Amino acid sequence: MATQHSRAAARIMIAPSVVLLLAWMLIPLGMTLYFSFLRYNLLMPGNNPFVGFENYAYFVTDPAFQAAIVNTLLLVGGILLITVVGGIGLAVLLDQPMWGTGIVRIMVISPFFVMPTVSALVWKNMFMNPVNGLFAYIADVLGMQPFDFLTQAPLASIIGIVSWQWLPFATLILLTAMQSLDSEQLEAAEMDGASAWSRFYHIKLPHLSRAITVVILIQTIFLLSIFAEILVTTNGGPGTASTNLTYLVYAESLLRFDVGTGSAGGVIAIILANIVAIFLMRMIGKNLDA
Amino acid sequence: MGRITLDQVQKKFGDVEVIPPLDLTIEDGEFVVFVGPSGCGKSTLLRLIAGLEDVSGGEIRIDGKPATDLPPAKRGLAMVFQSYALYPHMTVRKNITFPLKMAGMSEEEKKRRVDHAAEVLNLTDYLDRRPGQLSGGQRQRVAIGRAIVREPAAFLFDEPLSNLDAALRVGMRLEISELHERLATTMIYVTHDQVEAMTMADKIVVLRKGHIEQVGSPLELYRTPRNLFVAGFIGSPTMNLIDGDEAGNHEAQTIGIRPEHISVGDGPWQGTVGVSEHLGSDTFFHVHDTGLAETITVRAPGEVEHRAGDTIRLAPQMDKLHRFGSDGLRIA
Repeated sequence: MATQHSRAAARIMIAPSVVLLLAWMLIPLGMTLYFSFLRYNLLMPGNNPFVGFENYAYFVTDPAFQAAIVNTLLLVGGILLITVVGGIGLAVLLDQPMWGTGIVRIMVISPFFVMPTVSALVWKNMFMNPVNGLFAYIADVLGMQPFDFLTQAPLASIIGIVSWQWLPFATLILLTAMQSLDSEQLEAAEMDGASAWSRFYHIKLPHLSRAITVVILIQTIFLLSIFAEILVTTNGGPGTASTNLTYLVYAESLLRFDVGTGSAGGVIAIILANIVAIFLMRMIGKNLDA
Repeated sequence: MGRITLDQVQKKFGDVEVIPPLDLTIEDGEFVVFVGPSGCGKSTLLRLIAGLEDVSGGEIRIDGKPATDLPPAKRGLAMVFQSYALYPHMTVRKNITFPLKMAGMSEEEKKRRVDHAAEVLNLTDYLDRRPGQLSGGQRQRVAIGRAIVREPAAFLFDEPLSNLDAALRVGMRLEISELHERLATTMIYVTHDQVEAMTMADKIVVLRKGHIEQVGSPLELYRTPRNLFVAGFIGSPTMNLIDGDEAGNHEAQTIGIRPEHISVGDGPWQGTVGVSEHLGSDTFFHVHDTGLAETITVRAPGEVEHRAGDTIRLAPQMDKLHRFGSDGLRIA
């Protein structure tokens, strides 16, 4: 009886926060869905009639849409590849005993504490700027033509900037996972005649599989909605070369003041995110089972 | 073949000398146990032989060939770790195959050896399981399996039974002894448990603070401990060590007498029973107020009833008395 009582009491006590959180999520979602079916443009005030899937059709047939989808997937894929591979590499290096480990670790992790707009502006103005940037200076010293990163390779540049921000996160998670590896396992492998590469491939990498999965899942959630870095560097351009889905939704609703189409884009982004999530869980979710 | 010779082997961690220069020969096919209290350097010594630690001085030879600078895999030794160190993401079969795979052995040879090892160790039914699905004793056997498939010159065991419960420990002790009988390969076994040392070893090496205190067969150590440390370490319950006048009567600084060499009955010593421990097969009495400074432990065979406070007389067997001088060494 006691447990039944306490269970009921527990339910009643957590109910307010559950209701609050549910409302917090459901009201914006419901409003987005509602707006996505209305002709709702702030430049053309009117009675906002119900137009069915017109906004969706408009958003999907927009030539920028396809570019945005491709760019979104390239951004997520490229950054994941760089951060996971780089993170594993850095974790292996930082796991080695060396002088000044503490300071090096803090320095490796620090990019994660710089806010996205600031780091993107630093990269844009101090490194990638074709006139004043460090890379332009280096090219100049070497006698080469400075490369205008954000114009000539906008998407690759943004991938670079965002990878720089997320590499510390991947490194941190993978390093802690690496440190939890039983050293006797490595010694046993050494006795068994495994070379350094074999020890990495057969012992360390499988040990990291769960941490890698966590890194991929968490990063995907955040990378699908990259926005600040694009806004302060390329504004989605040139043309649509660096426009992703998030930026396209922003452009529709806040640059063209078309709330209806923007909402439709938002709903499509949610659906896309879920498709990606399903694929991810199918591919790597089994790593999370103990 | 597995004759291992240590010549002036020394190990320092920074300025701390863990193992002062030390000589030791382990004959082919011998079961040698390194025993000593924790922190005595026995595991370090094993790791030096394995090659997991580098020596600070001296030379290690395996079958006459210098092995000091060889990497662990090239020494032809196999090790069983305290934590078993199984690879958790691999099945039992893959775990056992791993050293063969690293050696680049053919598929048939790998399968033959693994199946043979699994049969020897009763693991055939578990080959497709993962270490996480096995009990402690089974994991231990997998770790041994991974060692024997390599057909090494010698096996190194680093406290392999310390994670098992008491009943399983006795069983595995027997299995390892049987394995040694069958394979007749050199085995070096590290433990802090003198019972394991006494029951399994051909030769026991007693270590303290990196020094070898005594080397000998279990019964040699039992009968003629070279010094006070060995006398107190080997044997359970521990030997009674008595200083003072009684020792002076025997022209020694300290005399030692094992609990099993004192009988309850008519004898020169008299005392009061304190705690008594009834094991069924034996009864241990802790006797005080004997006129000696120390509490005397006495072992009486079978079930003997004496209550706390009873006065009993004790008869030590004088020919089993050990005498030690002021330097702690045995007086012949």
